[in-house]
Amino acid sequence: MNCRECVEHLYEFLDRELTPELEQEIRAHLEDCPPCEEQYDFEELFLKFLRARCRTQGAPAELKKRVLRELFGE
Amino acid sequence: MAKSPPVPPPSSPVPLDEKRASFEREALVHLDVLYRVALRLTGNPADADDLVQETMLKAYRAWDQYEKGTNAKAWMLTILRHAFINEYRRRTRHPETVDVDSIEPYAVFPEVQDEDPQGAFFDRIVDDEVLRAIDQLPEVFRETLVLSDVEGMSYQEIAGILEVPVGTVKSRLFRARQLLQGKLYDYAVEMGYIKGTPA
Ligand SMILES: [Zn+2]
Repeated sequence: MNCRECVEHLYEFLDRELTPELEQEIRAHLEDCPPCEEQYDFEELFLKFLRARCRTQGAPAELKKRVLRELFGE
Repeated sequence: MAKSPPVPPPSSPVPLDEKRASFEREALVHLDVLYRVALRLTGNPADADDLVQETMLKAYRAWDQYEKGTNAKAWMLTILRHAFINEYRRRTRHPETVDVDSIEPYAVFPEVQDEDPQGAFFDRIVDDEVLRAIDQLPEVFRETLVLSDVEGMSYQEIAGILEVPVGTVKSRLFRARQLLQGKLYDYAVEMGYIKGTPA
């Protein structure tokens, strides 16, 4: 596993979408390669940031009432 | 033209209160997810409301066809997306006329590696700004990114909802993330959150 391959698979690794074998190879590479590990940390932080920023909003209370009214006549 | 065979009636009709209870338990709990996705697809709260309402009605009508305890979230998102394509896209947003494969995203990490490898500049970007940047992504990237990165769906689930191969999900997601990072990085440079590399 070289750095280019590692970076190419970084998102799949973060998404837990790799085979156990490939996952193990990436993990081993990250342990030995500070630059790739730094990029891993950066991408991980980005994904956490994204999730945190975009999940604050939920359905308006009015919509929930409207759905219940429409479905069950309440 | 041959008609599709009629759906066989269920062996025992489900009592109404039971149907309602299972719908509340498995479907209504995803109201927030449906709303967030609808909002990113339509781009405005009024259409998002209508789209979710319609999705819930369609889902309730088809509830007997849904195999209980499987994946109601994915099933409902599929209904929502079909409703969006058939009825809303035409009048809200237009499908891309640009070739998304020709969009060349760039990697942000090498740009910030020296100045801010921890990505601290992200912390200064507020919710609205992130959502605005997502809304600027081409639709195929936007829907993939929202399902994955906001709603936490797997590649397989997303492939099912969008009716594309898993490999397509993977490559779209990669490019969507890079594009979004690029937009947020440009914004951060503009706002002075990060010095950036002079062009
Ligand atoms: Zn490396």
